[in-house]
Amino acid sequence: MKNFSFVNVENKADALEVLHREKEKSCLVAGATNVMPFIRYEKINDKTLINIRNLQELRFIREEEDKIEIGPLTTIYDLENSEIIEKYAPALREAAQDFADPTTRNSATIGGNIANASPAADTATPLLALNAVVVAESKSGVRKIPIQEFFLGVNKTALQCDELITVIEVPKNAANSNSCFIKLGLRNAMAISVVSVAAGVELAEGKVAHANVALGSVAPTPVRAKTVEAALVGKEFTPGLVEETAKLVTEDISPIDDVRASGEYRKTVAAVLVKRALKKSGKI
Amino acid sequence: MSEINITVTVNGTKINANVKPEMNLLKFLRSQGFYDVKCGCEMGDCGTCTVIFNGSSVKSCITLAAQADGGTVWTNKGLGEVDELTQKLQKAFVEHGSIQCGFCTPGMIIAGKAYIEKGGKPDRNEIKKAISGNLCRCTGYKKIVDAIYDVAEQMSK
Ligand SMILES: Cc1cc2nc3c(=O)[nH]c(=O)nc-3n(C[C@H](O)[C@H](O)[C@H](O)COP(=O)(O)OP(=O)(O)OC[C@H]3O[C@@H](n4cnc5c(N)ncnc54)[C@H](O)[C@@H]3O)c2cc1C
Repeated sequence: MKNFSFVNVENKADALEVLHREKEKSCLVAGATNVMPFIRYEKINDKTLINIRNLQELRFIREEEDKIEIGPLTTIYDLENSEIIEKYAPALREAAQDFADPTTRNSATIGGNIANASPAADTATPLLALNAVVVAESKSGVRKIPIQEFFLGVNKTALQCDELITVIEVPKNAANSNSCFIKLGLRNAMAISVVSVAAGVELAEGKVAHANVALGSVAPTPVRAKTVEAALVGKEFTPGLVEETAKLVTEDISPIDDVRASGEYRKTVAAVLVKRALKKSGKI
Repeated sequence: MSEINITVTVNGTKINANVKPEMNLLKFLRSQGFYDVKCGCEMGDCGTCTVIFNGSSVKSCITLAAQADGGTVWTNKGLGEVDELTQKLQKAFVEHGSIQCGFCTPGMIIAGKAYIEKGGKPDRNEIKKAISGNLCRCTGYKKIVDAIYDVAEQMSK
């Protein structure tokens, strides 16, 4: 079975109209780097392919007073080369630098990456640590989905079938400006992560005021390391503290054995990566 | 499954054709006789189908043909007729013996061109990253890196 149809949309209003009309048959296509392999392997069939690749109005990175706004059509190449991202969300920039290969980065978009909701999605882990907010729009209105509530499972999100991601918001704060990202893959390029970690800490007089830690590829969705975060806040930020708290990450994750690594290995290496990311973010 | 009509300017020539909605740009280009665009993995992994689409290098196997409607595509062969940087790269690939079976060459040359156009320096490590989305099963990459390095050096003078 194949049975696809194709609609090109020229602006956001058109896109919302077509989504409203096609409902469950809708399949938005941005960079197509996930959609094309899905078509090839018949993981999707009988869809209306809605081309949003040319929606330049949704390709932007803007600085507002208390947040930055990223358009869903922003490519991974754009993220890698943005001064705003470098300043306010360095974890996202580092994730972009390690993402796929330079050619794929020209097509792949941030909206497609999170909407596809792979447990290994490389922008998802940083966005989770950065407390991002996903703005979703449909003909019936606009809603803001905190990123913690966005990922529901492998390839499952909180988006309704007629909703379009129109903005991804990242708050401006010290923890986010200090954030960093570490990806462990089986090789240095073109690798799906075995484990990824994003962390951002804010210190006040040597003590941890805020600690945000997220991991990818260790559960069906990217997850926050809540146990680690709770154990850090209010304490003196020392190498000893980081060493001890990083180990607690095994409480927060449920990694599986797969072709890339065993669950046991992922647990061991997750603790090491959390330690490194916290040290890097807190500059010790 | 209605076909759709698209117009794409490939290597400077306007081409009009009917395509299936789910057809990839790679299959479209080959169906129009652009056989220099090779079909390898068709999964975005091997990079030999890389072309310039609306100014950026993309893997044509993971781009929808219908998305190219109204757009422009350049292939390695077409660029070799008009683009000085591509000509330099093609010459360097020959001189450095960077081609064995030749299957990866069109993608490698476009990846090299994209690297140098974005200001890439003669830096072996950076060049390796630039071609990390392109697989070669013969050369061991050294001679490909040598060729791109050579051109990057010429261009940075
Ligand atoms: C060779 C290769 C290497 C890769 N390497 C990596 C890697 O290192 N890290 C990684 O994380 N991923 C990787 N990927 C996966 C993929 O490239 C990314 O997930 C990419 O960001 C998807 O973006 P896209 O624009 O191509 O999405 P598309 O394929 O166009 O769409 C993906 C999904 O998102 C939906 N969608 C797109 N835009 C919106 C929107 N605005 N609102 C709502 N839904 C939307 C689509 O309907 C579809 O379901 C790789 C893929 C390939 C082929």
